[in-house]
Amino acid sequence: MAAMARAATTSDVFNAIAEPQRREILALLRAGERPVTEVAQELGMTQPGASKHLRVLREVGLVRDRKAGKQRLYGLDARGLRPVHEWTGGFEQFWNESFDRLDAYVQDLKQARQERSN
Amino acid sequence: MSETGQGAPAQSATADREIVISRVIDAPRELVFEAFTEVRHLSRWWGPEGFTTTTRAFEFRVGGEWDFVMHGPDGTDYQEWIRWTEIVPPEGIALLHGEYRGDPNAFESVLAFAPDGVATRIEMRTVFPTKELRDEAVEKYHAIEGGRQTLGNLATYVTEIVRKGVEG
Repeated sequence: MAAMARAATTSDVFNAIAEPQRREILALLRAGERPVTEVAQELGMTQPGASKHLRVLREVGLVRDRKAGKQRLYGLDARGLRPVHEWTGGFEQFWNESFDRLDAYVQDLKQARQERSN
Repeated sequence: MSETGQGAPAQSATADREIVISRVIDAPRELVFEAFTEVRHLSRWWGPEGFTTTTRAFEFRVGGEWDFVMHGPDGTDYQEWIRWTEIVPPEGIALLHGEYRGDPNAFESVLAFAPDGVATRIEMRTVFPTKELRDEAVEKYHAIEGGRQTLGNLATYVTEIVRKGVEG
């Protein structure tokens, strides 16, 4: 069970951002890249704790890292937000709103055709 | 949100990993179908209010593709790729929807157009690659909905950062 829960957390962006500390990390990284030591310090986490969260965020594509000299810097990665966008903006909401526009557009088409045939 | 199950005609084999959205449009189905067949129509309604599209390639035939960029109102660009897998005028269209050709996360949507008096009922059945992906989304929908404002803001910040990164 524990293994399953962990697999879900590390493979799924929704689980990754359900954790408040990980959201704090994302909010902090908005201001720019940071090494893990700074993330831990600024958020009052232990360094192993911050590392673990950063690893989860990296695995779901919300955070990327790069080497800068001796240290590794962590920054936000927009690609991982795509599924979040799709579900929060909402897959269904996206299509319901598209269908609203389709409806309005088809009414215009219908009217244009009627005017032409009259 | 329109849950699957309720009022669904028959349970399909993919019922546990699909989402069905339906809508009645007050127009004959030939006209509704036509709005799906050309870029000049699609570009007028694809996406929520405020979204626009730029098409790179478009060919409406079975096996044909629509390669385009969708522009969000916040300036975010989304690469989009669609391949039509079945076209039966004016009854239905099946398509594969991903971000690019060969996208392993592409999912299939089947659109059915049925007469409903003088109107047309559109039913769009979208099948996700895994049950897990769909289940997690449905389970968490309310929680996610609660965090929507925050996440929306986060997405905006991230977009700004990416843009600054590209410019700087």
